[in-house]
Amino acid sequence: MKLAYYPGCLAQESAKELDMATRYVCRSLGIELVEFPNFSCCGSGFVDEANEVLNIAINARNLAIAERAGLDILTICSTCQGMLTLAKVRMQDPAVKGRVDAALKPLGIEYRGTVEVKHLLRVLTEDVGLPAIKAKVKRPLQGMKVGAFYGCHLLRPADEMQSESGEEPHSFEDLIAAVGATPVDYRGRVMCCGFPILFVKPNTANSIAGRQILDAKAHGADAMATPCPLCHTSLDAYQNQAGKEVGRRLDMPVFHLPQVVALALGAAPEELGLSRHLVRTDGALAKVHSTASA
Amino acid sequence: MAAGTVSVPFDIYRYEPGKDSAPRYQRYTLTLTPHTPVLTALLQIRSEIDPTLGLRYSCRSAICGSCAMQINSKSRLACETQVGPEFERHGRIVLEPMRNQPVLRDLVVDQSPFWREYHKIEPHLKLDPRRPMPEGKPTPMTPAEVERFKETPRCIACAACYSACPAAEADPSFPGPMALAKLYRFAVDPRDTAHDERLLRIQPNGLWLCLRCHLCTEACPKDVRPSERIRDLKEMAIAVQGGTEHGSKHAVGFKENLKGAGQLHEMKLVRATFGLGGMVGQVGQGIRVWRKKPEIMKRPRPIDGLDELEKIYEALDPPPKEGP
Repeated sequence: MKLAYYPGCLAQESAKELDMATRYVCRSLGIELVEFPNFSCCGSGFVDEANEVLNIAINARNLAIAERAGLDILTICSTCQGMLTLAKVRMQDPAVKGRVDAALKPLGIEYRGTVEVKHLLRVLTEDVGLPAIKAKVKRPLQGMKVGAFYGCHLLRPADEMQSESGEEPHSFEDLIAAVGATPVDYRGRVMCCGFPILFVKPNTANSIAGRQILDAKAHGADAMATPCPLCHTSLDAYQNQAGKEVGRRLDMPVFHLPQVVALALGAAPEELGLSRHLVRTDGALAKVHSTASA
Repeated sequence: MAAGTVSVPFDIYRYEPGKDSAPRYQRYTLTLTPHTPVLTALLQIRSEIDPTLGLRYSCRSAICGSCAMQINSKSRLACETQVGPEFERHGRIVLEPMRNQPVLRDLVVDQSPFWREYHKIEPHLKLDPRRPMPEGKPTPMTPAEVERFKETPRCIACAACYSACPAAEADPSFPGPMALAKLYRFAVDPRDTAHDERLLRIQPNGLWLCLRCHLCTEACPKDVRPSERIRDLKEMAIAVQGGTEHGSKHAVGFKENLKGAGQLHEMKLVRATFGLGGMVGQVGQGIRVWRKKPEIMKRPRPIDGLDELEKIYEALDPPPKEGP
């Protein structure tokens, strides 16, 4: 399988560990990543707020790059996934397409809308398939209870994102179970991490993140895992602030989705940049060892 | 059990503040056909098993908006949610009152927070007193003008969106999705003369606390799509005022930031939003993150084809016109 790799900004910057883990997983499962140094940032939802048509055009350009190469796009961020998909949806409106085409055509860029935009979660669960992943698991993560945290833009609006469900997805939990860990069911798994207002009203944003972490904790999670580096920022990098807002020490390790898979495929923590997390992950990993040796 | 029926356990939230010490869940099990609406099941429980169960309803036809509640954690109208799919997915049906509004009894909430925000946005046409509507004559609108309202007139004020909203949950200063969707409806009405005033008044806590999580759009039984109308309002507010609040500054700052290298320059964006002074409060957190992730200080490598991006900006994001 060959895909146009759209890492997004954070995986190339503050969430480099996400890129490391993605490459490990793809290498192990025979997914070839084709890189395009001309991909731009997706606008992260903020450009959409400031100028909708501009945001569509920026992403139509990204889509056209993969289209020219005849490849579907692989995203590793719920927000990138959402913004690229949104551009595809909005470009179906002839009025919007007319305005965007008028900006792209003079640059020799043609957008036809033929590529699919797939998040790694979907590629792993639908294209690779859980049985194939299970067959490659070297170290089942038995004993570790993991709360999936989806990230809004991967799921909603469900009709536009063509997601499995806006409020009741299960593919991430299926994947967690496939690598031997125990998925935790909690309401917060489909809630917001607070990131979009982290720079608008930090206290409110942190309190929203804190609520979801507390919810995962109350349902017995040893760790959380997310397919979105923006959620990871809220849940991990800002966890101490989130804890202050909810008045509790949270101590919740937060994995990136491919880190969980890579660990089960046999990766060492150093290969996955786990030491770059703000909240230590060894407590959660110890659960795996203790159960495996018990 | 009759053919085509299933035995469905309902776990229903019971609580009367001032009387009960704590909320509890009471189980009732009914034999139902899968297409039975949850509201019909509730009425059966009340008439045949437990007349003390508190609930609010009226039309039973998804028109009055009275019976919104949480059904297996989703904010929904009980009258249009069938028991079959819920039972199939969850093995039971948990019914709880709407969130973000205090419980009066069982499934009945006090909707005052929701209505307070609705009244605050002044949901009525504001006409210019110097140009009154011609008496006895209609004020026609073009189909294109009506089209701009989009789906907003369909709203039945059931408050399912307010119940689903994590911003309203964490911050009572947020007006909630319905009030903002209603505001949009007046902000694009060609007969209304207070467009700019409406947009400016709703900032900053009104508009920019929306998380664009789209939970309201999922919850809405009438497909009003509040989250998408809030997005429209944000762009309209920036057009009126530019980037002056933290929220609009961040959106405009992100747009400009992206133009620089085609990739996000994280630290530059924080500075654009908070200003140098505001960054002082972020220093501790910044150092904590930087020690683990030194890349946050790094200038991103410009993408190939940055000139294409610049041309797209030139075509679709012209600089704002000079004010009078």
